[in-house]
Amino acid sequence: MIYVLYVIVGLICVYTVRHYWFTLNRLFGFQRHPYIDIDTANWPPVSVLVAAHNEEKVIAHILEALLAAKYPADKMVIVPVNDRSADRTREIIDDFVQRFPGRIRPFHRTDGKPGKAAALKDAMEFVETEVILIFDADYIPGAGIIKQLTAPFFDPEVGGVMGRVVPMNVGANLLTRLLDLERAGGYQVDQQARMNLRLVPQHGGTVAGVRRSALREIGGWNENTLTEDTDLTYRLLLRGWKTVYQNRSECYEEVPETWPVRVRQIMRWAKGHNQAMAAFALSLLFGKNRATLRERIDGALLLGVYAMAPITLLGWILALAVFYKGIAQFNSIIALLSLTAYAAIGNLAAFFEIAAAVRLDGHRKRIAILPFLALGFTVSIFSVSHAAISQLFGLLTKAEFHWDKTERFRKATS
Amino acid sequence: MTSFLSVAALFLFTSVLFALPLLPALWELQRKSDALPLNVIQQHAGEIRYFADSFRAYLEPLEPVLRDCARSGQNASGVMPDGTEYMVLGSGNDAVTLPLGGQDRLYPLLLASATDLTVPSDSTFSHDVYSRARFVGGANNQYRALLAEREVHLGTGSSLMRWVHAGSELNADPGCKLYGRVSSDSRIRLAHGCTFLRLNAPRIELGPSSPKISQPNSDPPPSLSSVSPSRLLHDGDFEIKPGEFFRGDLVVRGRLRIGSGARVFGSLKSTQEMLVESAARVDGSLICAAKLVIGPDCVIQGPVISEREIMLQARSQSGTADGPTTVCAPRISAACGVIVFGSLWARERGEVVASA
Repeated sequence: MIYVLYVIVGLICVYTVRHYWFTLNRLFGFQRHPYIDIDTANWPPVSVLVAAHNEEKVIAHILEALLAAKYPADKMVIVPVNDRSADRTREIIDDFVQRFPGRIRPFHRTDGKPGKAAALKDAMEFVETEVILIFDADYIPGAGIIKQLTAPFFDPEVGGVMGRVVPMNVGANLLTRLLDLERAGGYQVDQQARMNLRLVPQHGGTVAGVRRSALREIGGWNENTLTEDTDLTYRLLLRGWKTVYQNRSECYEEVPETWPVRVRQIMRWAKGHNQAMAAFALSLLFGKNRATLRERIDGALLLGVYAMAPITLLGWILALAVFYKGIAQFNSIIALLSLTAYAAIGNLAAFFEIAAAVRLDGHRKRIAILPFLALGFTVSIFSVSHAAISQLFGLLTKAEFHWDKTERFRKATS
Repeated sequence: MTSFLSVAALFLFTSVLFALPLLPALWELQRKSDALPLNVIQQHAGEIRYFADSFRAYLEPLEPVLRDCARSGQNASGVMPDGTEYMVLGSGNDAVTLPLGGQDRLYPLLLASATDLTVPSDSTFSHDVYSRARFVGGANNQYRALLAEREVHLGTGSSLMRWVHAGSELNADPGCKLYGRVSSDSRIRLAHGCTFLRLNAPRIELGPSSPKISQPNSDPPPSLSSVSPSRLLHDGDFEIKPGEFFRGDLVVRGRLRIGSGARVFGSLKSTQEMLVESAARVDGSLICAAKLVIGPDCVIQGPVISEREIMLQARSQSGTADGPTTVCAPRISAACGVIVFGSLWARERGEVVASA
């Protein structure tokens, strides 16, 4: 039992060091933005896919925003991927098609496998361009983002690109404020540090792009996964394609405003991520592939982030058991010092990362909310652990996964 | 009872300690003093002419004054709505003799001219300058920002702090230091010894005279020695031999050398140094994580990016008149005779040298 606990503590320490490394790199290291300065070019044709499933509340906003994008109109086609919507989504899209002839080529999907990956897979028949950009329907892209997300594809090593997601409904309630902090940490520090250090920036599946030839080479979208973005990141990596992160390609999104919606969202992410871990961890670490050594290590750690929640829970249980059974391998002074040192430094790693992100964003007072993140982390750790356990049971019972669409909170457009 | 009180006190004390950091959080949650989304400027597209366009809009209230001064040939002065003092010149040549500058030749107001504007040497313009026609600056001047609807000529050793835009050609004499955005709607020409950060124009010429332009050659390669893959990923150093034709994209995890006269129908990337030898042509882009040297008489059609440094040697050409492109790196040194169609962007320092 004690040795299992040692392994868990070791893993937690590795992730702690990783948090600090990323944050310090972001604060003091060389920042890589190699493609952001490309402002003039012979821009390639792009297809902008908008994944939409019952999106009557938001679909008009993104179509308006994309039509206002500063990209040569004759080189950009908008493809709303209307996936079996039962509301007014189709009607709204068709209205835009009529009003802006030649700009929008809708794909109305009426049947088939549920899920974003399956819908994108079917939509590929309508895509003729080498560069494909993807947005979820609740996003509002800015005028310059199409060029920014397209620019990295001038690099022949780039297979995927990811922009920064910025919550727009920050002030709604405590949850949205916590999610705003988490997103800031995840993008402003985590993703950019991975970019800086030439590690594995993660494809997010929205505010993102993919090269069609790379996608074809890796076998297209995987419809059997809950997180097609994580799956895509690793399949590209194994075949020598880079995913790059563009921190300055910012795009507004709507974050969940209720805890049940948030819990379902994070459980889906956790299950999908764990699927990817099972599929790619061993082949990434030990297989013959095109990833560099640092990409293999970082990629494996990234695959493990959601698995760490149940592992940490197990660690807590084991620590209690060890205490009550009176097992003590080390001198008590060393144990006490270790515990104190970890409590002082280790527990703060994630908070330090988020605080640094908020500082980098130029905010000040929202940092006061930071202590409440403990609440967000607690909800996440139990939700993710629940997801992992149910996933294990699902494997045993061979249950099929199902897709939970994230509920929208914006008011419907007329 | 005492022990109960002790436990209660300890519990209370611990609760207070736990709640203490939550007080500012609760306060912020209630007040929402910093609860707006991160400010993403939705219409911002990074356009180099943004400041010039904004300045034009800012000058709109001056339009009647500019018209009157142009008609009468008289000067006028006043205060803009934001409190900035301005002087409008009816005849731009008056600036040479204006008493405004004083002995230290400091012009602490917005200067606008309805006609060609010529300003004296050794002067400092601490506010923006506008000319509805040509602008000619003397030597060793310092400008904050400058907009001319026609040509701009910056005298030897002049400095520009923020931005300059010319509706027509922009020429900078030797030794100019251009710290901000420099743009023109037709052509920029920088003499040797000029330093720059961000240049954008349909055509950028570096050096004293107009270099010869190479026409893009879209002919297919006459013969290929082997069938090249669409994308080749190579670990280690790689060389495309002199005169060789290479079709497809190439990613080299090491150093890359493109031999003299080689022709590449695709894009190239190297994770270490890249050397493009003389008269080589690349139809796609060049991406390099380290130092990138582009030799004399080379023609690169796509974007050229280095994460460290680019050296553009004499008569090399990036982009074409019909297909403008971007050349960017933290440091760029460009030899006389270099021509770029589009953008030349040095994040830290760019300079025009006799030979790179």
